[in-house]
Amino acid sequence: MSTPDDPIGFGESDSSHGETLLEIEGLTKYFAADSGLFAGLNFEPDQFPPVSVGIDQVEAVDDVSFEIKKGETLGLVGESGCGKSTLGRTILRLLDPTDGTIRFKGEDLAELSGEQLRQKRSEIQMIFQDPQSSLDPRMKVGRIIEEPMQAHDMFDDEGREARAKELLEKVGLDPRHYNRYPHAFSGGQRQRINLARALSVDPDFVVCDEPVSALDVSIQAQVMNTMEELQDEFGLTYLFIAHDLSVIRHISDRVAVMYLGHIVELAAKEELFENPQHPYTKALLESIPVPDPRESGARGVLEGEVPSPQDPPSGCRFRTRCPRLIAPEEYDVSDEEWAHTRAFMRAVKRRTFEATSAAELRRKFFDGELPRGEAGEIVDEAIDLLATDRDRDGEGDGTVTEDDWNDAAELLLESFAERSICARKRPAYDLESEYGSETHFAACHLHR
Amino acid sequence: MSSEPLLRVENLKTQFFTESGTVRAVDGISFDVHEGEIVGLVGESGAGKSVASMSLLRLVDDPGEIVGGEISYRGETIFGLEEGPDGELREREEMLSESEMRERIRGREIAVIFQDPMETLNPVFTVGGQLREFIELNRDLPSDEAKAQAIDMLREVGIPDPKERYEEYPHQFSGGMRQRVLIAMALACEPNLIIADEPTTALDVTVEGQILDLVDDLQDRYDTSFIWVTHDMGVVAEICDRVNVMYLGEIVEQAPVDELFYETNHPYTNALLDSMPRPDRTVEELDPIEGVMPEAINPPSGCRFHPRCPDAREVCTRVHPEPLEVDRADGYPHRAACVKHDVFDVGYDESVPLEAGDEAETGVGETGTEANVDSDSPLEEDQASTDGGESER
Repeated sequence: MSTPDDPIGFGESDSSHGETLLEIEGLTKYFAADSGLFAGLNFEPDQFPPVSVGIDQVEAVDDVSFEIKKGETLGLVGESGCGKSTLGRTILRLLDPTDGTIRFKGEDLAELSGEQLRQKRSEIQMIFQDPQSSLDPRMKVGRIIEEPMQAHDMFDDEGREARAKELLEKVGLDPRHYNRYPHAFSGGQRQRINLARALSVDPDFVVCDEPVSALDVSIQAQVMNTMEELQDEFGLTYLFIAHDLSVIRHISDRVAVMYLGHIVELAAKEELFENPQHPYTKALLESIPVPDPRESGARGVLEGEVPSPQDPPSGCRFRTRCPRLIAPEEYDVSDEEWAHTRAFMRAVKRRTFEATSAAELRRKFFDGELPRGEAGEIVDEAIDLLATDRDRDGEGDGTVTEDDWNDAAELLLESFAERSICARKRPAYDLESEYGSETHFAACHLHR
Repeated sequence: MSSEPLLRVENLKTQFFTESGTVRAVDGISFDVHEGEIVGLVGESGAGKSVASMSLLRLVDDPGEIVGGEISYRGETIFGLEEGPDGELREREEMLSESEMRERIRGREIAVIFQDPMETLNPVFTVGGQLREFIELNRDLPSDEAKAQAIDMLREVGIPDPKERYEEYPHQFSGGMRQRVLIAMALACEPNLIIADEPTTALDVTVEGQILDLVDDLQDRYDTSFIWVTHDMGVVAEICDRVNVMYLGEIVEQAPVDELFYETNHPYTNALLDSMPRPDRTVEELDPIEGVMPEAINPPSGCRFHPRCPDAREVCTRVHPEPLEVDRADGYPHRAACVKHDVFDVGYDESVPLEAGDEAETGVGETGTEANVDSDSPLEEDQASTDGGESER
């Protein structure tokens, strides 16, 4: 396939297989929630003083650390809004990190700027999700692929054209398409053009942000196969960002799971899928519809919604939805009692039920039996606030007001959720792997 | 299995008359939906599944038109043609008029849930208001009763604190919550059939799981039938009872869900299943379907899948197979449109296998499977450029 004077593969890469290529540590990216002249001023009429200064921050990526070895594919998976794309872009320095280091081949990208950074960009490239909007419709395919080379002063005109054609062939397109415009290509082919463009400057590291999620399954498989072949041929290292766990399972060597700006679990692929240790990873895996009608798994296992990254939960960010939230140590409750209490607390917070009589509430959430000791007293107090038949010191007619709901929710959250170790400390544990020998990182206090 | 289907579609044809030619988006499909069933309509983009589902409600926009076939719902004719005195086709008399469709069928008997909840809900009205209006109009209820109904429906589909959220606007709802609102809207008039057009495609997996759970639950309670349009075989396996696989405007395979996955009878379905990465096990090598789906404006001769089919033989280029019954399971037929099955009897066994690449006349001398992937592209692209570059995958 390649000719003797193959221009591809010039500039032998200076780090060998298995070495750490990229190491990020404590990487953090916050965005200002508002921008503009008065963004820093907040007006709250029911407080004194009514005006406060300070910009609300969206904690898109918060203190993330991991490393990627030469030649491997690290899959980064998470739901929309978890910060996976922001992380990818921050690594490429398309966004300025708020804090932390990005060590690429021993050099900290976070420190670089201007011309130095621009030079570095020839070694790290990106492939975007939308094959429609990431190609300039008014540029011919040839120009599109040559542009990065031009920016980095590689070759002369002829050399660039030769390389562009060679690359077209490598990514599975016809080199004769050099003079066509992007609109003449289908989605899968456009993604191949994106690949060719990214590879034109001979990068070592490519960040792929959902490169196949806009494609049909059959085309997805074609593009993923090509990506794997190119990885072998050019010794590429991928950071593969996707929300689709099947795609991640196919293409990754190691997988990192992200939730609300934190990495919650990171392990070798087989280990992560067969032996997940974080409740969020487990929930994710259980939710995927399996293409096998004889396997009907549990689904819809997660309640509620992702909290706002503007005001993320303390400690473990998953704790507000976690089915395994740990009971605060100060209460002596059985597992069952704690499960009831937890369910009741969340139901009150989300108001998923209507206020009824105290007896009915007890029956519905606690099978009629409240937890023992102090925990039970707190629950009883909350039930009292929400019961329609409580004794209201002669006032009111038994209606439960907005304030009652808020008071009950606050009481329960402060007495239980906020006192759990999950709320007080950010978890981070290295575990032994069951599959393979690599460390298995899980951010969950169940492993304390 | 009840004897009389709720909805019967026979030989439905929907075409789009464009400047560059006639696009046969749906080309003679037949299927039926029984009471309480979830019937899947699955295929890749461009297979015609959305057009097919919209045709059922006669909601095809210009330049599209239903040109043939018959759609009947509970003995009423939604669409049907007959031959007039001069031999021309005209709409049959008993066919429901546009106003009957609007007043009796759409929303009340057959409801739709669309893929993108943001575009379906009007951003300048409150969620509750839109739901209330829908109930008011379709069920002739006074405003206050409709409001109570609307709040009930919101609670029914699992929206917490429905009284408060009734007053909120669509942008204050998350994607999953908006989809729940649409489901509430579809269910509001207690229709017998709901057409769900990729309702979970835009959602995250955990939210998708929640919605599938909700649908299962609601289906148990209301016994509503569903036509579930999707491209995701995982979702199909999860909720469908019977499945229709579409390729390029035609149904190529039709079977109960277990049969479809375990006794696959059409090479396209097979290829589709093989090309998918699996969430439940590691697949080392994916086996993609070669090439891309051709344009519906100029479909291949014979079997439309033959240029990409691993089992294609010479006869496939000549004979166009209609789906025929090749098996029977749970009282339902298993139909496949592939001449390799004996029922077709067109000489498949004696026919010469097509060489992979026979159809690809690029002659660039590329090697390896990857090179072949886009080998039919020059032709394909020329077509694409004539119709303004709308060649999605």
